[in-house]
Amino acid sequence: MAENKEHYNESDIQVLEGLEAVRKRPGMYIGTTDVKGLHHLVWEIVDNAIDEALAGYCNSIEIIINKDNSITVKDNGRGIPVGVHPKTGLSTVETVYTVLHAGGKFGGGGYKVSGGLHGVGASVVNALSTNVTVTVYKEGKIHEAKFANGGKIIQNLTVIDSCELERTGTTVTFKPDPEIFDTDIYDYNTLMIRTRELAFLNKGLSLTLRDDRDDEDTTGETFCYEGGISEYVKYLNQNKTAIQNEIIHLEGEESDVIFEVALQYNSGYTDSIYSFVNNINTHDGGTHEEGVKRALTRILNSYARKNNILKEKDDSLSGDDVKEGLTMIVSCKHPNPQFEGQTKGRLGNSEVRKLADSVFAEGFERYLLEHPEEAKLIIEKNLTAARARVAAKRARELTRRKGGLELTNQWGKLADCSSKNPEISEIFIVEGDSAGGQAKQGRDAKTQAILPLRGKILNVEKARLDKILGNEEIRSMITAFGTGIGEEFNIDKLRYHKIIIMTDADVDGSHIRTLLLTLFYRFFRPIIEKGHVYVAQPPLYKITHGKTFKFVLTDEEKDAYLASLPSTTKVVINRNKGLGEMDKEELCDTTMNIEHRTLRKITIEDAMLADQVFETLMGEEVEPRRKFIEENAQYVENLDI
Amino acid sequence: MDRLENSNIVKEMQDSFLEYSMSVIIARAIPDLRDGLKPVHRRILYTMLESGFTPDKGYVKCAKTVGAVIGNYHPHGDTAVYDAMVRMAQDFSYRHTLVDGHGNFGAIDGSTAAAYRYTESRISKIAMELLRDINKNTVNFVDNFDASRKEPEVLPSRFPNILVNGTMGIAVGMATNIPPHNLGEVIDGCVRFNGVY
Repeated sequence: MAENKEHYNESDIQVLEGLEAVRKRPGMYIGTTDVKGLHHLVWEIVDNAIDEALAGYCNSIEIIINKDNSITVKDNGRGIPVGVHPKTGLSTVETVYTVLHAGGKFGGGGYKVSGGLHGVGASVVNALSTNVTVTVYKEGKIHEAKFANGGKIIQNLTVIDSCELERTGTTVTFKPDPEIFDTDIYDYNTLMIRTRELAFLNKGLSLTLRDDRDDEDTTGETFCYEGGISEYVKYLNQNKTAIQNEIIHLEGEESDVIFEVALQYNSGYTDSIYSFVNNINTHDGGTHEEGVKRALTRILNSYARKNNILKEKDDSLSGDDVKEGLTMIVSCKHPNPQFEGQTKGRLGNSEVRKLADSVFAEGFERYLLEHPEEAKLIIEKNLTAARARVAAKRARELTRRKGGLELTNQWGKLADCSSKNPEISEIFIVEGDSAGGQAKQGRDAKTQAILPLRGKILNVEKARLDKILGNEEIRSMITAFGTGIGEEFNIDKLRYHKIIIMTDADVDGSHIRTLLLTLFYRFFRPIIEKGHVYVAQPPLYKITHGKTFKFVLTDEEKDAYLASLPSTTKVVINRNKGLGEMDKEELCDTTMNIEHRTLRKITIEDAMLADQVFETLMGEEVEPRRKFIEENAQYVENLDI
Repeated sequence: MDRLENSNIVKEMQDSFLEYSMSVIIARAIPDLRDGLKPVHRRILYTMLESGFTPDKGYVKCAKTVGAVIGNYHPHGDTAVYDAMVRMAQDFSYRHTLVDGHGNFGAIDGSTAAAYRYTESRISKIAMELLRDINKNTVNFVDNFDASRKEPEVLPSRFPNILVNGTMGIAVGMATNIPPHNLGEVIDGCVRFNGVY
């Protein structure tokens, strides 16, 4: 290191300070330093390769997880320029990897469209890695530069070998710094899902993911979709029954903005609409999605009216009606996207709305006219949804009318808390009257409400809103929460900021938990997103020795406690099954008391993956469920025989 | 204050669902190929044998069996156990009944059996063939739910009950449906298959 110091000049010192800042505040650049941030590093490098692909110079990208959990990303693009950069006096490769905001994405000749906007990707990865090697194949030569310990140059860019003239591209290997990240183990599945998504979003681009950590000799998985987002829709609909044969795929371009949409209706009741801008998931939608939705409602209504399927006196189809059973991917490539909203998850460029609307309206109208059979099926699907909406509204009014005088009856068996402040109030959803009774007796009546459920609730994945509202257990939950449901849902009216699922520790308890989570995910998603849903953790074991006993939550805690006892003690270990096995004092002390309990907070990390999981596990189609069980049977920890 | 752990909804769903579905498949709805019995049936027969409710003695109140099954081996509801027992005694539900019932065990028209405080039962003669030699180290015994007793993993089964009585079961992601067969023909077939002729 000492000898390198002599080469430093003033501007170099600036560079190091820049990267030092990244190491001090990594959250600002990659969000978090947990598992998510660790995986984010991969995408920073892959995004650079994809930019080459978007510009039309690269058609194959390879991602390899190496034995030591370092990552190698290879592309066959043009290769990072190797000449000396006039501003920094370093080679361009070193500049890109050590200077923040150095990149080819700020206009000029580099890239028109890019996933990265700020030119920080490569340098941030370098700053957060212990070792980085960059190899550039260009003009018959192999250039290599090496960095270590957070981006310090240990080998300037040098030509190390020659290669065939046709061979071009960049290969980057980096090892994330374990001092920065909570974990340094890469998860294959997480990488695989995003890799596949990128392949869907960039048609024709071949992405390969390989795991070299085990000794098995694999070639990895290659994802390449000539159909692009059409194949994405097909993939999302594979577990559903489509009601049209073909997938509608529309494209348009205007002043460097490329807009694409693919859609297909299926017989399900929920919609799967995902939108992307420059390969980034805009989970809060934005102008591109709005434009399509607006045009979809308008075109379907005008088609239905023209063909007299909707009579003059009938109400028009609403935006929700035309969404039911719709699987749609909206993708937009924009040279200068503006992201809005708290999590930057919404596209704000207003000109995109017009483009999306006109491209979609024109193409979709033509499709309906050319395919009258399928148009009829789609409209019929919309009409059933509209009828169900009206029925649900009536059912809802009925529940409301029942209120008033018969308040207690309508709330089912809810034992409410006395506090009216939602922030400190919590509600325990308990399985069965036997556990409910105990919980009621032992709770802190000021802040803790108890709602016992009788048996298993309806699987909402397989039912429409009107049927769901007919279910008494679900109705009592809706009333207790106070938020309403469907179009009336209002999270500000939530009466409890902690909704705690407390089911027995047996397999039927697990089942009820899945049913409840399905209900919350499909109809009360904002309460999960805002972090209001929890799972109670009753103790797993009761350890008795002499006259004292202790409850422990996990196997590790059990072992630790046993080790702390003198070896001569005679202990009895009981595995807890039902909540009813514990006395009311025990239940409240271990599982409900704020001082001692442990709660699992339910989070949604990847909404698209979550959608698929709910569909597979709870949906109509049996085959994917059987496949899931067969593939994962070996991982079951807790079998009840 | 609360101790909090984050849990991704995807993992929470997958884990809970797997636990439930595998338990339903293995231990509730799908019978064992070897004795053609689901756990609840096996536990009823073994409990009746243990209690000595055999064909050579008189009938005993079903309440006794139900109580012993729940208390010793099957930690679930009493109706589930009694319903299973009633079916085993109905000659229109089983090709060869495994429980020999006395009293009102319902009829094919859908009328239900009398409550277990009224009805009486004992093991049927043919079911004794499923249980025969069980104490001669023929099958594995495993702990019951609280490790206070041992129960057979499977019954010795001197005839292929799964073919003779057939079975029906709906689990999660899979189901089974096997029709009943003639006892004599099945045994002839087994003998032929095993190459004794």
